[in-house]
Amino acid sequence: MSTQAPAALEPHLATTVAALARTLYPHDALGDQVYARVPAKIAEAVREDPAQARMVSEGVADLDGRGEKPFAERSADERLADAKAIAGSDFFELVRSTAVVEVYSDTATWRALGYEGPSFAKGGYLRRGFDDLDWLTDLPQEA
Amino acid sequence: MPRFDFDQDGVVVVVGSGAGGGTLATDLCRAGVRTVVLEAGGHHQPGEFIDDEWPSFNQLAWLDERTTSGSWRVAQDFPGLPAWTCKTVGGTTVHWAGCCPRFKDWELRIRSVHGPIDGASLLDWPITLADLEPYYDKAEDRMGVTRTNGVPPLPANNNFKVMGNGATRAGYQDVSTGRMAINSVARDGRPATIQDGFNFQGDRQRAHWSTLTAELPKAEATGNLDLRPQSHAFRIAHNGGGKVTGVHYFDADGNERVQKARAVCVACNAIETARLLLLSESPQHPDGLANSSGEVGRNYMRHLTGSVYAEFEQPVRMYRGETMAGIVTDEARNDPDRGFVGGYYMQLLALGVPFLAAFLDPGAWGPEFAAKMDAYERTAGMWLVGEDMPQASNRVTLNRDVTDQYGLPVPNVHFDDHENDVAMREHAYAAGESVYEAVDAVNTHRVTPYPSTHNLGTCRMSADPAEGVVDVFGRAHDVPNLFVSDGSVFTTGAAANPTLTIVALATRQAEHIVDEMKAGAL
Repeated sequence: MSTQAPAALEPHLATTVAALARTLYPHDALGDQVYARVPAKIAEAVREDPAQARMVSEGVADLDGRGEKPFAERSADERLADAKAIAGSDFFELVRSTAVVEVYSDTATWRALGYEGPSFAKGGYLRRGFDDLDWLTDLPQEA
Repeated sequence: MPRFDFDQDGVVVVVGSGAGGGTLATDLCRAGVRTVVLEAGGHHQPGEFIDDEWPSFNQLAWLDERTTSGSWRVAQDFPGLPAWTCKTVGGTTVHWAGCCPRFKDWELRIRSVHGPIDGASLLDWPITLADLEPYYDKAEDRMGVTRTNGVPPLPANNNFKVMGNGATRAGYQDVSTGRMAINSVARDGRPATIQDGFNFQGDRQRAHWSTLTAELPKAEATGNLDLRPQSHAFRIAHNGGGKVTGVHYFDADGNERVQKARAVCVACNAIETARLLLLSESPQHPDGLANSSGEVGRNYMRHLTGSVYAEFEQPVRMYRGETMAGIVTDEARNDPDRGFVGGYYMQLLALGVPFLAAFLDPGAWGPEFAAKMDAYERTAGMWLVGEDMPQASNRVTLNRDVTDQYGLPVPNVHFDDHENDVAMREHAYAAGESVYEAVDAVNTHRVTPYPSTHNLGTCRMSADPAEGVVDVFGRAHDVPNLFVSDGSVFTTGAAANPTLTIVALATRQAEHIVDEMKAGAL
């Protein structure tokens, strides 16, 4: 049996899901490639689940129907209002629960938020600042 | 490693290889007892551990299906994940952070100290601190606990500088990097910490004590250990004479096996220990093995828990260094004037970006949430861990409507906070905030309890067989060659992180089992 790469979501669905992900976890410093992880992950989940796939299509159509422009082309404020309107729906929860893992697992996000992550291969933080905080005094070391 | 025959009924079978089972098995092997350890998880080595929170979680966590009920928020946010424990050789010692406070004298007899408390199924432990102290001494030595036996303290990391300065300015007296089972200097063949964090993801460098790296290799060296990973116990066999005779389990290939045994010691962490006894029901034990009291699965405790995170103007970088190397002990005292009985600790805590996003306010989203994450580098954190009240209705039961990958009923974990728990948590949140406000926090956040890491009480120790499941040595009241060897035996939970006490009790139990064998009584 050959292993296929998971089919991607149809481009408009992917763009809209990514825009919803950015609406839910908005960080100006993050590029679109971080949010693109969300439709990619959802594509894996819905690939062999027609009911889920339909839920995503319908969820996107619902979002698009909430304004004149497609959801992904609306202002941040408009997208936020639309997201609030669908909060709690199965589609919303699928995107939210996927996004909170995918967005914050990306090393680009880590860099943007100042998280350096693993250090074992670099000898830990022992000589790389584990105690370099200098805006408070050092405490006496009790026995 | 030897492989003992399935029919060799002279072996002791230990189910579980964590703090209780791994320690007990090691002591039995060293005393010359042939021991089979059945571990449901695989045998991951430190070099395989992943310093990335979600992939590590998927590698190490116990993810078999479970259900939840009750009013605790975990049941809404993480309905299939009541507890965050491990399924791997070494059990939950693989992901523990190493905090080693001892129980205090009064914490072992809180029923006598306070009298009955409405809604709480309080009972005194049938042992005293004096009974435990020699075993605490041994446990601290074998685990290399800092500030004991001449082991130097861990140095203060950035996150501790914030909590420690804040606590001191807020008037707290006993503030330190704590007693930690993490090597501050090379000891017992393991290196000193390089402050590489990821305490909850296994420890690649082996500076932490775990049964995986510090105990089971010693057991193996005796030639008496038969460690069987990927071996999922599901039934303890017993005979008409009232004794257990062996353990049924599924091996790595899903084949059902039966290992005969002279004695069986159950150490699967409190949820699975109760489940295994309940699954072992029979005509002689219609409500589950060793459950004539009806107490198996009841009195489930998970500690108070809660966290406070605080944002500052300047960088903290809480993730650098040992995750929980810091403690404030002043509130771990018996002072009902605070509006609750029992005490709590403030302990250092850091999460990486992935887990802070998941746990800071589960389900939250939007610009305000993102702003909290934007402050990650300037955020400090602490965990609040205190005694919660045992309640008969907080309970592990078999959910016969839902089955696992083996077709077995999954455990349901029901939990409601007691009003004492709520009062203590409010006090602890306020105390944590005061600590951070004393060093000019810009914002503080109260964080709801995570899925339980301290799972206790489901086979509690009691003097009276009608009130609990096991005796002072963890031997089942109903079954003379059945032992419980993990935190399930805790009569009450105290404020202390449980691992040190589990190790002390397992050490004591091993001595007892060996003595009983020598005396021909087992």
